[in-house]
Amino acid sequence: MAMQTIDIDLNRVEGDLEFQLDVEEGVVVDARCIGVMYRGFEQILIGRTPRDAVVITPRVCGICGTAHMYSGVLALEQIWQVPVPPNATRIRNLCLMAETIQSDLRQTFLMFTVDFCNPSYQKKAFFDEALTVFEPFKGKCHLEALEYSKKILEVVAIFGGQWPHSSYMLPGGVVTEPTTRRIIECTDLVDQLIRWYERSIIGCSLSHFLSLTTADDFFSWLEEKPEHSQSAIGYLTRISRELGLHEIGLGAPNMISYGAYCIPEQWLPPYTAPQHLVESGFYNAATQSIETLDHQKINEHVRHSWYYPYEGGLHPWQGETIPDYIPSSDRYTWTKAPRYEEKVTQTGPMAELLIGRNPLTTSLYSKENGNTWLRQFTRIYRVGENLLRMHKTLMDLAKYTNDPHYEHPPENSEVDGAGFGLIQAARGSLGHWIKIKNGVIEKYQIVTPTAWNASPKDSIGQRGHWEESVIGLPLQDPDNPLEIGHVVRSHDPCLVCTVHLLPTGKRITYGL
Amino acid sequence: MPTLMWIQTGACGGDSMSILCADSPSLENLLDSHKVDLLWHPSLSHSSTKKLKNTIQSICDGAIPLDILCVEGSIVTAPNGSGMYDTFAKQPKMQIIEQLAQKAEVVVAMGTCAAFGGIHAAPPNPSECIGLQFDKAEPGGLLSSEWRSSQNLPVINVSGCPAHPNTMTKTLAMLLLGMPLPLDHLNRPQAFFNTLVHQGCTRNEYHEYDIEEHIPGGRGCMFFNLGCRGPVTQAICNTELWNGRSSKTRVGVPCFGCTSPDFPLDHDLFKTEKLGNTPTQLPAGVERAKYMAYKNLARAAAPERVANKKMQP
Repeated sequence: MAMQTIDIDLNRVEGDLEFQLDVEEGVVVDARCIGVMYRGFEQILIGRTPRDAVVITPRVCGICGTAHMYSGVLALEQIWQVPVPPNATRIRNLCLMAETIQSDLRQTFLMFTVDFCNPSYQKKAFFDEALTVFEPFKGKCHLEALEYSKKILEVVAIFGGQWPHSSYMLPGGVVTEPTTRRIIECTDLVDQLIRWYERSIIGCSLSHFLSLTTADDFFSWLEEKPEHSQSAIGYLTRISRELGLHEIGLGAPNMISYGAYCIPEQWLPPYTAPQHLVESGFYNAATQSIETLDHQKINEHVRHSWYYPYEGGLHPWQGETIPDYIPSSDRYTWTKAPRYEEKVTQTGPMAELLIGRNPLTTSLYSKENGNTWLRQFTRIYRVGENLLRMHKTLMDLAKYTNDPHYEHPPENSEVDGAGFGLIQAARGSLGHWIKIKNGVIEKYQIVTPTAWNASPKDSIGQRGHWEESVIGLPLQDPDNPLEIGHVVRSHDPCLVCTVHLLPTGKRITYGL
Repeated sequence: MPTLMWIQTGACGGDSMSILCADSPSLENLLDSHKVDLLWHPSLSHSSTKKLKNTIQSICDGAIPLDILCVEGSIVTAPNGSGMYDTFAKQPKMQIIEQLAQKAEVVVAMGTCAAFGGIHAAPPNPSECIGLQFDKAEPGGLLSSEWRSSQNLPVINVSGCPAHPNTMTKTLAMLLLGMPLPLDHLNRPQAFFNTLVHQGCTRNEYHEYDIEEHIPGGRGCMFFNLGCRGPVTQAICNTELWNGRSSKTRVGVPCFGCTSPDFPLDHDLFKTEKLGNTPTQLPAGVERAKYMAYKNLARAAAPERVANKKMQP
């Protein structure tokens, strides 16, 4: 039986990934997800003043720095038990929503839909339409996504000074007053985005679109009018389904969401059970139930990672990140393997909406499971929900413009201790675990959404989620496996990804 | 048709995300107006890494001319100078960059990481990062201090964490138009680095009258206590606004001096290092005794609306 090994490079914002697949008779039989870059951020933070985390950690990731800053600041607030005025949480949420919309738009139209324009699809009926809508720097949606993703980020600049990489969140609030000028400017931007979303992305009113609650509702809506079927979400859905993307790329059945957007009035000490606008939880596939999230059930394995080995998994507070680069062994990546109750778990917008009990997502998931199309659909669906949330957040700020936005931590409150900050970033669940000793950072462990999704095998040999999502996938043409590109990109690897193959010692490289 | 290649090394992708926010000119307009052949950009190219590998090979063979090479990210040299902590197709990125640089008409370091090492080079520098032609402010980058590109230019350092979007697109526009590009002592284009962050800061009146904040979240100046490096940092943040809207200092975030080779500073970033009552580092070129005298007079002259922080920055 001939076995091929396929290497896929994934160029992402946070770094680069390589995906190695074993293919037998045209079917993927094993996969190794390989992080190929190590930067050592957690070590850079050790010994620094705790507050510096809000300057250093946004720089972990150019596309979701706001989420990193937010996680870090929540962890510090938990350790110091300092109160946060509701206006501060409103402003933090507003900026995180803007960043998430930016990321969702760029991921969908600059990364995912570009694949529909692959010359290999030239003979497909959809090809000409795909070019008109999705072709890079020419297609309508590509150009509009560039324009409107830039525009929504102005909201972050209005409150945070700049995007990317500002540091306007501090323990105790945000530094920026919610002045009426800022509120009006942001409301205008959000309104422009809503009008564009209605016109181009869904082809109907946002309230009508968000009122669809079942799979049947959605599919009838799609066929109801040409405005719907020829909207961006219409093209995305029809082309994806013609390619069978609603039947592949399931991966790990368990899902995690840390909950999206702290409820402003309820983000208060003791911070033991934070409430979110979109609820947190763990979806246990075996029992088909959503369980209460418990961060103590999270651990990370390094059995197959280039870190100094330890037995089993360690909770992030006990975690270690000491590089131990041994290329010629069965360890193959710079990514650790996070697990929840030792279970392989995926995260992202689909997990966020399912665990948050969004009716349409729940219905689509029950009907067709967590497939490649649904993962991408929920990402662009979420943009609509977040635009409405931004509008409401701004109206709330307008009601309370004279309330405080920052409360400086009282003297002696900056004590030693351990804390964690959990956030839904654009790509899924992001956590920072911090320990402070003698007034400086003693330990800093970050578990990113991509670590959950792109994890390698763990101590007991369970494959990571991305690895699992391609097992059993038949490749129409192993020399040009377009299916892999769709599946992998639906997980939001941030940037373009490509494939090179290594059959029989001859290296041939193929692009997806 | 000028060619441009953008390669990421040890990076967060922030400079790529930043340049997508450029508005004067925007990246789209820049590429269109100058008919740039974008040979590669990791987030914008839809072509494959097969093409990337072939393109790299063709550039090295001299078959494809490379007019502008943009590098984003620190040069990762660990472990033991091998560069294997950051690879593309099993090859250390530092090696690929070195090969391409030899062929490029111009090499541009996009961001502080590529220019000086940046945040990844902060202690303990776990991945042994350096810049393209500098290690912080000193020689010791990937390329020697004497190194020059085909156009006889050193690496052009468009520093910033991230680099300012319009600083990047305007620098590229100047290169594409063949305009002269005078550089400062750190090889940064003077056109953007002969301005202080302080210039155009809307808190200047507070600075002028020495009304200084002691805790964050207020309206006053952040230079004396909160670590703001606006008066000592060269960048256009307050003369050409971020995302067309604002800047860190305008909203109340101190400038952390991210265009400087020593970014990030080793000490508490929200606290100003002081000598007695005044910052150790005074505004560029200022004499301490005269500055103290001026500050004392200034505070006495502060009108109530400023002293009571009635004015919205």
